[in-house]
Amino acid sequence: MSINILRMFSRRTSSAPVARERLQILLAHERGQRGQADLLGILREEILAVVSRHVALDPEKVIVRMDRGKSVSTLEVDIEVPNDFDKRIAVAS
Amino acid sequence: MDSKVDPQRQLVRLRGRSYVAFVFSPVMPIVNWLEGIDATLARSPGFFVGRPIVLDLSAVKLSGHGIAHLVSSLENRNIRVLGIEGVDSSLLDASLPPLLTGGRHCMIEQSEPKKAEVKKETEPKAPPATSLLLESPVRSGQCIVFTEGDVTVLGSVSSGAEIVAGGSIHVYGTLRGRAMAGINGNQAARIYCQRIEAELLAIDGYYQTAEDIDQTLRSRPAQAWLDGETMKITPLI
Amino acid sequence: MAKVLVVTSGKGGVGKTTSTAALGAALAQNGDKVVVVDFDVGLRNLDLIMGAERRVVFDLINVAQGVAKLSQALIRDKRLENLWLLPASQTRDKDALTDEGVRQIIDELRSKFDWILCDSPAGIERGATLAMRYADEAIIVTNPEVSSVRDSDRIIGMLDSKTVKAEQGEEVKKHVLITRYDPARAARGEMLSIDDILEILATPLLGIIPESQDILRASNVGAPVTLNDAACASARAYNDAARRLNGETIAMTVPVERKRFFERLLGRRAA
Repeated sequence: MSINILRMFSRRTSSAPVARERLQILLAHERGQRGQADLLGILREEILAVVSRHVALDPEKVIVRMDRGKSVSTLEVDIEVPNDFDKRIAVAS
Repeated sequence: MDSKVDPQRQLVRLRGRSYVAFVFSPVMPIVNWLEGIDATLARSPGFFVGRPIVLDLSAVKLSGHGIAHLVSSLENRNIRVLGIEGVDSSLLDASLPPLLTGGRHCMIEQSEPKKAEVKKETEPKAPPATSLLLESPVRSGQCIVFTEGDVTVLGSVSSGAEIVAGGSIHVYGTLRGRAMAGINGNQAARIYCQRIEAELLAIDGYYQTAEDIDQTLRSRPAQAWLDGETMKITPLI
Repeated sequence: MAKVLVVTSGKGGVGKTTSTAALGAALAQNGDKVVVVDFDVGLRNLDLIMGAERRVVFDLINVAQGVAKLSQALIRDKRLENLWLLPASQTRDKDALTDEGVRQIIDELRSKFDWILCDSPAGIERGATLAMRYADEAIIVTNPEVSSVRDSDRIIGMLDSKTVKAEQGEEVKKHVLITRYDPARAARGEMLSIDDILEILATPLLGIIPESQDILRASNVGAPVTLNDAACASARAYNDAARRLNGETIAMTVPVERKRFFERLLGRRAA
């Protein structure tokens, strides 16, 4: 029977600090949202409103991705726009 | 309702009985409908006195106050309301007659032509020869009611489930819930099961709870039956 | 043919969300396209267990209300490309979810996925009944403990009456998944036995998942336990359960007590 001495004495990487960090980030965002509007959500709505003033937006062609980080959050708005959009008359939504 | 207190067994009886009652079904506007009642009373003044009257409010939309007002308007005319049907129970507070459900049509023999509609049924006393078969276990929270005869369950009856039968109850499995047999006054009804771990057994209103059931009988095939006013629970076989 | 599976229990805290994530990941690793749907409106958890909590943009209610398309709400798992998540709302209350809304979403999910796992909230109110309403199969997660067993029984009764399948006279196929099984307590007779549980629930057994630190670790880091630590006993038990869902016949492994290191070293047997 082999004994893994190293395993015996080393501790597994503790998962609790990871959990703590995830929760801190998440709750910071969720607390911020209670009673106040969500900044990223507002940005999303306003960006879409601006774009749709110039281009007829097909909801299927709009992808919004967010990554809320500790100090920096990322908002990605991907909109597929047809190549002749500037020649067509925009439909305000 | 009879009640005796016996240190060994509880003998408070809960029985069901049905009566024939007149049903008033008011329509809007209530004022006109009450005038119609007054006209009937004018023709036969004492007709409703002493008769059980039920108010069916399903055709009108009344608030709790409206209902209370209607009931007292009828009381002023010497018409006492026994119960109310066709409304949400939240509208009836403790000062109003209780909510009734499950009324059925029936004919009333009467000597005079009537303005009120009639609606309740006398139940036949002879037990009918029908039975209900359940081929799967009865789960917690389920309530099986079959007043016309026996109930047979191919499976267990879970804790928190209830079987109510006019006749006998047969459980081919473990009885862990409540079984109430003979609810129409059938004292010959019995309860049979392959393993007895019941929460409550009742036959024609006489009941025993789990605490009263002899420990030596638990988890064995058993039957429960009435010997006079005593419920006996004995091993099967 | 897409299958809608509800993971339910009645009792809270027994392991529905953990099991939904673990089974979803296991089925996706087998190659099927899987979506896990969180029905716990107002108290969402599945996103946290899946590690997607920072990427939630739109949720089930947004889709039901027509505010967003399903494709915009679905979040793809970063580790398994066949695994997707439809999160619940954290801020709206349960009445916002309607029967019709859920029906349409489930129909659309059926056209895109092989497995749709619905993570039910605890209880028997709207969230739980909606989660089960359109299910083809059900996994009833049960702890070896009396109130969990009774609640599971209640839920089984509801599966046979409150689902569309039941209303149409068909049967929702049911499986019991026993979780938090502790072999040491079972050996001492301190836990309801597997046989007792199955006798009371009268429903086939899908698997027995041992109580384990690995599950806590997995949820700490935000990964289904079958992805985080596939070799541990719990993950293996979940993998077996997923294979049984696919129709494979696998002998049931009853978890045994893990001998502590020094006892093994000195050849001593556990009590």
